[in-house]
Amino acid sequence: MKKVWKFLGSMQFAIILLVVLILACAGGSFIPQGHSYEQYAELYSERTAGLILGLGLDDVFHAWWFLLITAFLCGNLLLCNLIRLPQLLRRSKQADDPAHLGAPCVELEGIRDPEPIFARLHMPKARETTDEAGRPLRISVQNRVGLWGAWACHLGILLLILGFALGQMTKEEYTVYGVPGEIKQIGETSYFVKIHDFRVDRSESGFVEQYTTSLTVIDNADENDPMSVDAVASVNHPGSAFGFKLYQNSMGDAAKLTVRKDGKLLQESWACAGDSVPILETPLSLRLQSVLREEAEEERNPTGYAYMIFVGEEFYTMNVQGPGESIPELGPNYEVSFSEAQSYTLLQIKRDRFTPLAFAGGLVTLLGLLLAFYLQVRKLWAVQNEDGTWTIRGSSPKGGALYADRVKEAAASS
Amino acid sequence: MTNLLNIENTLFYIVICLYFAAMIFYFLFIALKKDGVAKLAAIIQAVGLLLHTAALICRGIGAGRLPMTNQYEFATSFAWGLCLVSLIFIARFKFPVIGAFAAPVILLLIGYAAMQSKEVKELMPSLRSSWLGFHVSTAIIAYGSFGVSFVLGIIFLLREKMQDKGFWDRHVPAREKLDLISYRSVCLGLLFLTVTIVTGAIWAEQAWGSYWSWDPKETWSLVTWLVYAVYLHLRIRRDWKGKAAAIFAVAGFVCVMFTYIGVNTFLPGIHSYA
Ligand code: HEM
Repeated sequence: MKKVWKFLGSMQFAIILLVVLILACAGGSFIPQGHSYEQYAELYSERTAGLILGLGLDDVFHAWWFLLITAFLCGNLLLCNLIRLPQLLRRSKQADDPAHLGAPCVELEGIRDPEPIFARLHMPKARETTDEAGRPLRISVQNRVGLWGAWACHLGILLLILGFALGQMTKEEYTVYGVPGEIKQIGETSYFVKIHDFRVDRSESGFVEQYTTSLTVIDNADENDPMSVDAVASVNHPGSAFGFKLYQNSMGDAAKLTVRKDGKLLQESWACAGDSVPILETPLSLRLQSVLREEAEEERNPTGYAYMIFVGEEFYTMNVQGPGESIPELGPNYEVSFSEAQSYTLLQIKRDRFTPLAFAGGLVTLLGLLLAFYLQVRKLWAVQNEDGTWTIRGSSPKGGALYADRVKEAAASS
Repeated sequence: MTNLLNIENTLFYIVICLYFAAMIFYFLFIALKKDGVAKLAAIIQAVGLLLHTAALICRGIGAGRLPMTNQYEFATSFAWGLCLVSLIFIARFKFPVIGAFAAPVILLLIGYAAMQSKEVKELMPSLRSSWLGFHVSTAIIAYGSFGVSFVLGIIFLLREKMQDKGFWDRHVPAREKLDLISYRSVCLGLLFLTVTIVTGAIWAEQAWGSYWSWDPKETWSLVTWLVYAVYLHLRIRRDWKGKAAAIFAVAGFVCVMFTYIGVNTFLPGIHSYA
């Protein structure tokens, strides 16, 4: 049993898990994700398609075995960090202990004064003590904090995975679209979005530079006392309200749909391109496809509205209606028209309370790497011999021969 | 502004010539075994780097934004990054042989850049972010460093096979030191790659509302990151230092190149513009 635990917390196991993760990620990027059996069968063969679906290779990053490997990696990291915590505390405490100096990677004899060499290598103030033979001994340890680099990096990765996993499990995502003036509910929640304005900024050549929606989010949980927060969402600058973040996602054509029957107004509503609007008192629905516009970029006046008509779910016909004309397909009693072409805005609304945890994990990982790589622990110690000269020894677990060179250079130039 | 873009264009071709000349002199250095030739090669490379920097600045001002937004700009910046990091390693470790192996890679990258469209296009809204600068410039340093690790890995593997011990012993550090220098370059690369991934995640969170969406470019940057993490852990085991690590340093750069070029070519995703 003890052996199993030891293996689960070992670096060998870590390497195996990392290699499996690498292969899984590479596989998940080569096999198109989220396709159907038929699509895979067409792309590869029926047998391969069966295999892909059977092994969850159509959704690698959410497959049970992928999550299991990730869970094992977390367990491995946790065990490794728990086992190493007391070791690191001890090593940190014993760093300048004469009894735990360890094996040197460099040794210089006959030094008259060690001080300039220590100074040249920017070693911190040395601890002055004696060795077991009672000779004067100076020990200086540089970057003791660097001992914690790998540990912090592993902790950061744990936090990152934890934040990501919790976020995936609890996050809420909604899509809301509409034209200025409309109020739309955010999913099934008690929140509503009132769209005030939608602006498209274009460069001189007509290229879109930015989309911006001004809006108010209203919390209607208590109908007698609704609360509201104003926000502005544009690309790269999401708005925020009530813990939601509102992203400017895209836009599309919209127009006002007016239906009159025998001269009486039957219905009037906004139609966003792609939406099917049922025509009251008929089995028909009408879908705005797009607004046709003049070529000239500055004016961009609508020249027509492309639409489709459905009977129930069945496609019936498609056509283009000029401005001011009525759609003929519904018969002479009906006067149906699109007007007031404008753009609708599409907002993506998300709430993920664990994003800060994941980012904190990323920062701790980064800090750990910085400590591990650029604050490497180095030790330099000098013993005074009977003849008054000093012997200097140094060690650097990660610098090795390069550190030895630096010490020798420092001695040569001192 | 077109003026500046014309200057950039001229500088770009001068830089290619200089990098080519540097490569020839590095090769001459290996053939003639004369230290002076290596120095000359490094000076030519450094002048090339200066003009390359000027070209990038001209492009930046000419286009009115950071020159890092399309395949051409990133390829030339990548060559610039590798040139910079290799010069730093050549100077820091007095190791001009790096130049002889890095120069062909630099030329390949800048040659790839020359084949791309140089047209300055307007940026779509999601690319108009100050995170773009952090994200891409750190990627350039990361990729440049990994390019140096790749070169060092190859030098390590070749060193074992070389007959002409005299030259290699005099101009190429011993096994252990070579491994340590390679480790330094991987450290630099991995640190910057991590910053690239973190800033990319922050930016994606702002632009797309999701800091990680397993898009192929993201996935391959993670694969690259994990490959170098394996390299680091293998090095901790004494018996894996050296040859095995060198092989991993070479493989890591293959992942880098795949993340950079392969993903765009074979695996389309939302990163398809860069
Ligand atoms: C994605 C996963 C991981 C990453 C990115 C990572 C990263 C690192 C880094 C950067 C170092 C420092 C290496 C150096 O300074 O040269 C390190 C060291 C180490 N890692 Fe990991 N690691 C990961 C997973 C693991 C796991 C799961 C274990 C579990 C046993 C582990 C065990 C170790 C050990 C024992 C060291 C040596 C520590 C030292 O030198 O003080 N690592 N790791």
